[in-house]
Amino acid sequence: MAYTFNTEVKNFLSGRIWLRAHTPFPAETIDAYIASGDIQIIPGIKSEKTTWSQMKHICNRCQNDEPSRFTTFDCAKCEGPCTYCRKCLKMGRVSTCTELIIWAGEQTVYPTIHSFAWNGILTTHQQKASEELMRSTELQRSHLIYAVCGAGKTEILFQPIYQLLTEGKRVCIAAPRVDVILELEPRLREAFPSTLIEALYGGAKPGIGPAQLILATTHQLYRFQEAFDVVFVDEADAFPYTADETLEHAVKKAVKKSAPIHFVTATPSKQLIAGRKRNASISTIQRRYHGHPLPVPRYETLWHYTRHIKKGSLPKKLLTWTAQRLQKQEPFLIFFHNIALMELAEPLFQKLDAGVKAIHAAHPERKEIVRSLRNKQLPGLLTTTILERGITIPNVQVAVIGAEQKIFDKGALIQIGGRVGRSSDHPDGDFVLFHHGITYAMDDAKTEIIRLNEGGVSW
Amino acid sequence: MVKECLLCEQTLDATPSWQSLLGLDQQAFICGDCSNSFKRADIDIKEEGTTIDRTTSLYKYNAAMKEFLHQFKFLQDVALAEVFADDLRRVLKKDAIIVPIPMHPAKKVARTFAQVEALLKSANVPYMDVLEKTDMVSMGEKTKAERLAMPSLFKVKTNVTIKPTTYIVVDDIYTTGTTLRHAATALKEAGATRVEAVTLIRA
Repeated sequence: MAYTFNTEVKNFLSGRIWLRAHTPFPAETIDAYIASGDIQIIPGIKSEKTTWSQMKHICNRCQNDEPSRFTTFDCAKCEGPCTYCRKCLKMGRVSTCTELIIWAGEQTVYPTIHSFAWNGILTTHQQKASEELMRSTELQRSHLIYAVCGAGKTEILFQPIYQLLTEGKRVCIAAPRVDVILELEPRLREAFPSTLIEALYGGAKPGIGPAQLILATTHQLYRFQEAFDVVFVDEADAFPYTADETLEHAVKKAVKKSAPIHFVTATPSKQLIAGRKRNASISTIQRRYHGHPLPVPRYETLWHYTRHIKKGSLPKKLLTWTAQRLQKQEPFLIFFHNIALMELAEPLFQKLDAGVKAIHAAHPERKEIVRSLRNKQLPGLLTTTILERGITIPNVQVAVIGAEQKIFDKGALIQIGGRVGRSSDHPDGDFVLFHHGITYAMDDAKTEIIRLNEGGVSW
Repeated sequence: MVKECLLCEQTLDATPSWQSLLGLDQQAFICGDCSNSFKRADIDIKEEGTTIDRTTSLYKYNAAMKEFLHQFKFLQDVALAEVFADDLRRVLKKDAIIVPIPMHPAKKVARTFAQVEALLKSANVPYMDVLEKTDMVSMGEKTKAERLAMPSLFKVKTNVTIKPTTYIVVDDIYTTGTTLRHAATALKEAGATRVEAVTLIRA
């Protein structure tokens, strides 16, 4: 009996860094393993004096070291000044007197027998990229898969993942957004039916089994330490990745020493390309898997759209566009730059069809609503940039309201356009940018799409 | 240094102005959107001569406030005490002795801070911790009937003398008023002439 318990604690804590007070196990069990040395205690916050005798803090869970993200207060528990990290607060507060635990005992051994149930066929381009990715993994160097939206990036990962699993390696696919994880989860479960897979995102409860393949939002990686033999970062350029150094540290912390971190994206940043160009570990795919070109955006002026919507009417062009989609029964996504404006517009769209809904990151029914659109239970959605990537809806038509807004940078516009024409049954579709003035970002996105369609290399 | 809203983490606009150059502007801790999500209650009830002579509550208990309290008390985000510091300082700028509603010592250790004291410290309001709890049960765990039938919840600490003057008891939230009435009774029985109550929120 005691032995089974041991494996459970070991399996759960292997590779994790966890709050001592919040494990799924009784406190006495944890205490016993601390006494035996299998569990090691780490202080929550590392603080040291800088040259100017100011305190410099680092959060041992999320690696945050930004002074503005720490608060020091008079703690009633440790009876002294105590500092906590506000960056990862929502995962349970970590302060100076908080104890984090890691598993220091014998490591979990993962199975080497897995089944691979995906029976699709890769295009020549996908096959080549997949092989290059495997080669880089063998050499333990970081690899970038730079493939246009709809190139079939996920399938490229299947063979390399299978290879790693059969070597008993622990693998993680990290994506910045929960929507991407939710889309990936069923596909991976189908491809690897006998593998213990776990999807981790805000609100998901971690299981206690020895999950070998982990799908996680990048935030969830805060809770891992030297856990993975390989991490694939999907949609590598997306918010909050480029903006957020802490998350980059978190990915580095989550992999074992010298383990490779691979990146997969349609819109890589310059740094991402530069970092991998030196040792030629980039695979590019400029064709979608069905061979059709990427939809090129068209511009439509929509002067003073904010004023129109605030006055309670939809601009005529937008009205006509939406009515056409409804009439042709084509699902649609309309992107807004701002939640408040979108919510003002929602009732106006509902006059055309009561089924139109608006969603944003904090929407309580976000998951269900996206599912209903996919199941054709809703005619279309108004959305913020949360749906810009990772989702596939056959025959979807896309409009951007206020394409000149700063949030719609080149990458965002390319990703948004990438939602259109993904299925081979409907390889085409409308991608319209309604704007109040044309920006460089709009032109850059359009030029890049045209260049990719012509087969030009873009770095 | 880039400052972010304590609640939604969006960057606070720092428009340069003469006020900020001279250090005269108020320091903002939250953004305009978050600030607008809280609704003022502005309750001020005067019942001179009763247990509590005057009750003041600043904000309504709406969804935003619920979220705020959750982050402050249960996620233990002490930094949030700053958010309403100015409001509290304004209503507590009086010639009276400020008394926070006490927490049971064990509970205070578990939470690592006492929320009312944290609010007062951020508001820079001097206070005297003269009351203590008589038992451990939290108000939230009781039914309304049980709350009303409670024996005295607080007593004045043994080596403290209560002066014949005005006291203001402060709590984070006013629900049925039982907590504040018990505190006021304890103070009046010990010799306070007048007791007022101030709460941040009115449920």
